[in-house]
Formats: sequence, structure tokens, C-alpha cells
Amino acid sequence: MPTQTAVRSVEDLNTTVVDADFHLTEGIEEIRPYVDGPMEKMLVGSSSYSGGVNPYPSSGDLHPSVVTGRTRVFNEEKLATPADVREGMDLLGIDRVSLDPGIQLALGMVHHDQVAAALATAYNEYLLDTFLSEDDGLYGSAVVAPQRPDLAAEEIDDRADESSVAAVFLPSGGVNPPLGDRRYDPIYDACERADLPLLLHNVSGGAITSFPIQHQAFGRHMPTHVVSHPMQHMVNLTHMLTTGVPERFPDLRIVFQEAGLGWVPYLVNRLDYEYYGQRQDAPVLKRPPSEYVDEQCYFTSQPVEGMDKPGYVAQVIRLMGGEHNLMFASDYPHHDFDHADDLLRQLTGEFDRKAIEAIFGGTATEVYRFR
Amino acid sequence: MTTDETERGPTRHYVVDEADLDDGDRVLVEIEGREIGVFNVDGDLYALANHCVHMGGPVCEGRLMGYFTADDDGDLRYERDGEILACPWHGWEFDVETGEHIAGSKYRLPTYDVTVEDGEVYVLA
Repeated sequence: MPTQTAVRSVEDLNTTVVDADFHLTEGIEEIRPYVDGPMEKMLVGSSSYSGGVNPYPSSGDLHPSVVTGRTRVFNEEKLATPADVREGMDLLGIDRVSLDPGIQLALGMVHHDQVAAALATAYNEYLLDTFLSEDDGLYGSAVVAPQRPDLAAEEIDDRADESSVAAVFLPSGGVNPPLGDRRYDPIYDACERADLPLLLHNVSGGAITSFPIQHQAFGRHMPTHVVSHPMQHMVNLTHMLTTGVPERFPDLRIVFQEAGLGWVPYLVNRLDYEYYGQRQDAPVLKRPPSEYVDEQCYFTSQPVEGMDKPGYVAQVIRLMGGEHNLMFASDYPHHDFDHADDLLRQLTGEFDRKAIEAIFGGTATEVYRFR
Repeated sequence: MTTDETERGPTRHYVVDEADLDDGDRVLVEIEGREIGVFNVDGDLYALANHCVHMGGPVCEGRLMGYFTADDDGDLRYERDGEILACPWHGWEFDVETGEHIAGSKYRLPTYDVTVEDGEVYVLA
């Protein structure tokens, strides 16, 4: 059904336009001053790179557009102040963000579990101190470390009363075991208690720890980048459904970020088909996996694939039920960010205004804890 | 600034004095609402739209560099240094001479003819 009145830009929509994945660009140098307690002593050497330690592992893959200096936004321009954030929001035409982290994307791979938990706490202090307390209109997601679910749950409890915290961010790239393991239950329990959605976000370098042999064989960034986001999500979503996480935590809202669209209908249909024949391997579930996905799982749009294939994007959004579970995200300022109006052009003429406004803000306004 | 009119088609617009556009230099100009980048690459002048066909980024503000190809064994080579324009938003690469996207897609940046008369550079747009 075509849109009733002309929608040429997201600014023409009658909704608060939300970006469900907008990144800060912090590195260890921004976070180190906020590390407190015993782990402060553990990281003394990290305050300087001259013989110091960078606790965040890198897979060592060389990002071609970054190492050759082609992309300027991601390379040279750090988001250091709320004004920098506002500049990006203006560029994209969006009204609201929940700020996601920079180097904490690699937090799930930090080898030292207590350091990982301390870095999560330090990042949240940095986020509140530098951005959220300086600009009333900004929201952020509180980072937790999967290495220590007990400390992650404490962290969520500690941030639950912060009105500018709109989500919990779990760096899921490289997590082992996958997120269906019962060791993570305290995190899911705490998210339900705080009424905060759980954001799962992978990172290309995450392949080094979760898929190391194939990663080494790739030897290039492009193939690593293509498969690592959806592959890790498929592992985690499949494991979470198999072990019944959404059945056991019925109020948990789970957001899968930065893997595009097409993997969703494929996986959901495949899971249902297997479940019909092998229900005994997912005995906690009371219904087919797709029903839990429909009710509790959400997906952010970037990087939207197939925009140059007429009809692809609208078709795959219908197949995934995107009118109800898809949230626009830019991934700004990373090298592969999507522009809001670029996705919008794929949707006008294909969906009615209500569905478009849901994708560009309505759904996110219900999923995130904006207050 | 319009200095010449023809009955139909593009109009000639003064851009810069040739002496102020050295090898490797570029200027950005706005002509009738269109932003256009004019480049001097090894003494040859090229003009391209400053609007990336991917997502509208300011492509003419990006790096001029070469690009990587592979020989028959797959070993990397670096060719055409200074002739490939990369958009600063997402790194899409275009041939500065033809405007063609070098990854072989159907995309192409609009190009404009450039002329020099009496030491003055003009774009036909």
C-alpha cells in the first residue's frame, strides 16, 4: 500500500526518528582514567602505549578503507563531545540515539574476566560523565562484560535508575559459550528487572576467538566482515532459542544489531522446520521458535544489503516481519554507515506510513527505555 | 559566473586561474546549485559531481590515490596512483577521469568537460 502523503525525507515522518545503532569512538585512552578499584592497579601499564598494555584484543585483520585512509569520518573524526554526536544526528536527520560504544565492541574478547568487568563499569562512567550528563536529550546503552555475568547483573542493577540509560549492551562477538548457556541467566534476569532491552552486537575481530581457524584462512577483512556479524548472531539466537531463554525470560527484549536483513527470515524458517521434527532438542520451548522471535526479538537495519536490487529490501522486510521488529540504525560513524533517507527510499511506495514510522522510530520507542 | 551561452546544452563557467590549480590540486565550486570538484592530475583537468552516487557523500573531498589489483598469482599491485578518487564516507572508489566506480558496478559519477582559455579554467555544466 503506497504512502498517503509524500515522504521524501525522514524529517517528513510523524515520529521521533530513532537511530538504533550509533557509536561513540572511545579507545583505552578515554576509558583508562575511569577504571577504579583493584583493576586500576592491574592496568597501570596501559596508560601509555610505550611498553604498556592494550587490554582489547585485535584479530589483526587490516580494514582496507581504514588502513588506506580512504574513509575520513571513521578514521580522523573522534566523537569526543555531545556536540560531535549532534553533528552526526543532524547529518542523518535523526532525532534520538541510544549511544553504543567504540572499542567496547571488543570487550567480549578481553582475556581477563575481572579487567573486562572493570572496563565495562569504567565505560559507563565515561558515557554518563562525558555525554549523558552534559546533554539532556541523549540516551546511552550501559555496557556489560559477558565474562562475568554476576558482575554484569550488578552493573545493570547499578544503572537501572539512570533515566538516560535506555538499554544494556552486551558485546557478543567472540562469546564462549554462546548466549544460550545458563551462566548468562543473571544478565537476562537483571534486564527484565530493569525493563531494559538487551542489545547484542558483534565485531569483525570477534571471529578470532569464536571462529579462529576459518578467520586465519580468510586472511582478508572483507570476507571476515561479511560473515562475522550474522554468523555470530545465528549462533547466539539459535542457542538462546534451543535452551529456551525467551521462554524462561518472557519479558526480555533482545536486539540483534549490525547484521542486515536477509539472515533473519532464513534462520527463523529453518529453525521452525527443524523444530517440527526434532522438538526434543529444544524441550524448554512450548511453541515454534518463530513465535518467540516475533514476540521478543528485534533487529537493527544496517548494513542493509541489496539496495541496488529492485524489490529486494521491501520483500525481505515483509518476510522477516519487519513492520514490527525492524529498527532503523545507521552505525554512524563507522565506515559502512547507512543514511536514513537511503533506506527510506526503499520503503516509500512499498509500505504504508504506519509501517515506515514504526521502522524509523515507533518500534525503537517501545523497545528502548526512553523516559 | 556565466561567460558564454549556447542555445542548448551546457554553459561555460569560470572556475579558477590555471596557475592556481597545480598538479595534485583540486577546487570545489558551486554551479547553478550543483557542487563540482575540478582536479589537476598530472596536468590533465577533470571535473566530477561532488555527490557520491552511493549515499550522497562529498566524494570530491576524498583522497586521490591509486588502487590495488592482483597479478595472475593473486599478489597485490598498486596502480594508477593519484587517479582514483575515494569517497570519504564509505570509501567507494571512482576513476577520476571517467567517473566510473572501479568495483565494476553500474554506478558512475557525473563528469563535466573542462577547458582552458587564456590561462583560465572553465567547466561546461
